[in-house]
Amino acid sequence: MSDAHLLVLSPYIALAATAVVVMLTTAFYHRHLLLAGLTATGLAATFACVLVAGAEDRRATALLRMNDVSLYFIGLLVVVALAVVALSYGYLGRTERRFGDFYTLLTLGALGGAVLAASAHFASLFLGLEVLSVSLYGLIAYPRRRPQAVEAAFKYLVLAAVTSAMLLFGMALVYAVSGTMLLDKVASAGAGLAGWEAAAYKAGLALVFAGVGFKLALVPFHMWTPDVYQGGPAPVIAFLAAASKAAVFVVLLQSLAPLDPQRGGVLVVVLSVVAYASMLAGNLLALFQQNLKRLLAYSSIAQLGYLVVAVVSSGAAGGARGAGTVAVAFYLTIYALALLAAFGVIAVLAHAEGEPEALSQYRGLGHRRPALALVLSVSLLSLAGMPLTAGFIGKFFIFRAGAGAAQWGLLVVFALTSAMSLYYYLRVIITMYRLEVAPYAAALATSPGGMSAGRRAADRVAVAALVLLTASTLLLGVYPPVLLRLIEHAASVFR
Amino acid sequence: MSAVDPVYALGLAGVLFVLGLLGVLVRRNIIFVLASIEIMVNAAGLAFLAAGARWGQADGQVMFVFILAMAAAEVAVGLALALRIRRRFNTLDVDDLRKLKD
Repeated sequence: MSDAHLLVLSPYIALAATAVVVMLTTAFYHRHLLLAGLTATGLAATFACVLVAGAEDRRATALLRMNDVSLYFIGLLVVVALAVVALSYGYLGRTERRFGDFYTLLTLGALGGAVLAASAHFASLFLGLEVLSVSLYGLIAYPRRRPQAVEAAFKYLVLAAVTSAMLLFGMALVYAVSGTMLLDKVASAGAGLAGWEAAAYKAGLALVFAGVGFKLALVPFHMWTPDVYQGGPAPVIAFLAAASKAAVFVVLLQSLAPLDPQRGGVLVVVLSVVAYASMLAGNLLALFQQNLKRLLAYSSIAQLGYLVVAVVSSGAAGGARGAGTVAVAFYLTIYALALLAAFGVIAVLAHAEGEPEALSQYRGLGHRRPALALVLSVSLLSLAGMPLTAGFIGKFFIFRAGAGAAQWGLLVVFALTSAMSLYYYLRVIITMYRLEVAPYAAALATSPGGMSAGRRAADRVAVAALVLLTASTLLLGVYPPVLLRLIEHAASVFR
Repeated sequence: MSAVDPVYALGLAGVLFVLGLLGVLVRRNIIFVLASIEIMVNAAGLAFLAAGARWGQADGQVMFVFILAMAAAEVAVGLALALRIRRRFNTLDVDDLRKLKD
């Protein structure tokens, strides 16, 4: 191991060091500002390490493949974690009395995601996934006064543990018949197998796919999503929805990238079916949902369905592979921005007794907290794919990638369900700007004045983060090249 | 040394895995659900050992050590959650956890 290797691995070292420092500090000091500040500093240092590592040698170890795509997503994860720290600061201050473990777990979750984003081997895939999942169990169950949180965490734990076991068993089967655990060799290892070996290989890949599909909440592995989204604390769900899904999706993207389109026939069919089912089920179930958190859960199922369309397109046509990767990277970024902002608004509006979940509680929010209502509106419009928001550009890229691969059936469903989704997103926005004010929103108007100085400052930090997220959503919608150049450069590793 | 045919070991692992899965689906007590998950995870570990033995590589055993560590971490969190569920809801039956729904 040389200095160059250490430089490439520096994001991991920085993240792990941050987690350890925050954990040790928690043992002696309970000052919330100190712990959150340490975490934020560590994450900022990690981001600097990502920038430095980008200029160096890319092969770190057999387990980690540090190409530009993985570095891009590690950077995205770190930014998401930073935003979550900003959102949690006020949220935890209002609902909890102990904070250190939360930030330790959050940093460890980001570390797990970063390992996933660069994993090139079953071992690193498994380790990254588990570090991420086990941190998330703790994070979801964190608010002690929220009985739903324990239930959500337990449901998530049981399903995640079962699917981790499936993933592991699948990996073991694939390894047993192919003798390799490197992701880029596994896809082609099935050729020439016969008898029980071919059956075991197929069963193994199916089990691995089930494990990955669960983490992404794709239909038919989506049942946990609404319950966990509803029960978990809003900032954590923002992290789960944005960071954990992005990290797992990169694995899918990176391991499918060497897939030969001609031999990928079955896989393309399976992925297409999953994409159809996720787009339809997610959007249909969200249509009449009265609970905003569950609505966002179903909407995220649909969004992941759109992303699978882009993956199918990247695998199906050799020439369009770059287009598919660009579409996935861009869409994951804007999806993360939009969901962070949406759950961030819920987190800012939460008080010690609970979070506003029912849509009726948002009646009149636009008159009482105009900035928050605007943030939520822009993020929902971006998820719906309205022009002038980043969501439109994202959907345009998915459409372009799909058209390049001639996936017309998927594109028709994609366009129809996107149009359908506008109905439930607009319903939320119209509710917020109704003239009559719900008691919940009415109580909000009086609270800022009654808040202590510390809480007002925390509230301002969260609102500033939300405004930044919204501003970048709008900027990317109007002038996408800012990000696009970076992504296109990163995606060129697959050409 | 007469080694066991890895197919038998994989078969045993498969049977254990299915038993664990059935346990998760059928048992309603939280502790038994966690124990069934443990059986599934360890079945995967056994499959890794068999696969490693087939290729004469240490990778399978390395994965098994990872799996042991991960199973311990998972069950630690699981039992902590079971304690909190017991204290708050006064039950260990998974069917009683139904606050979250449409």
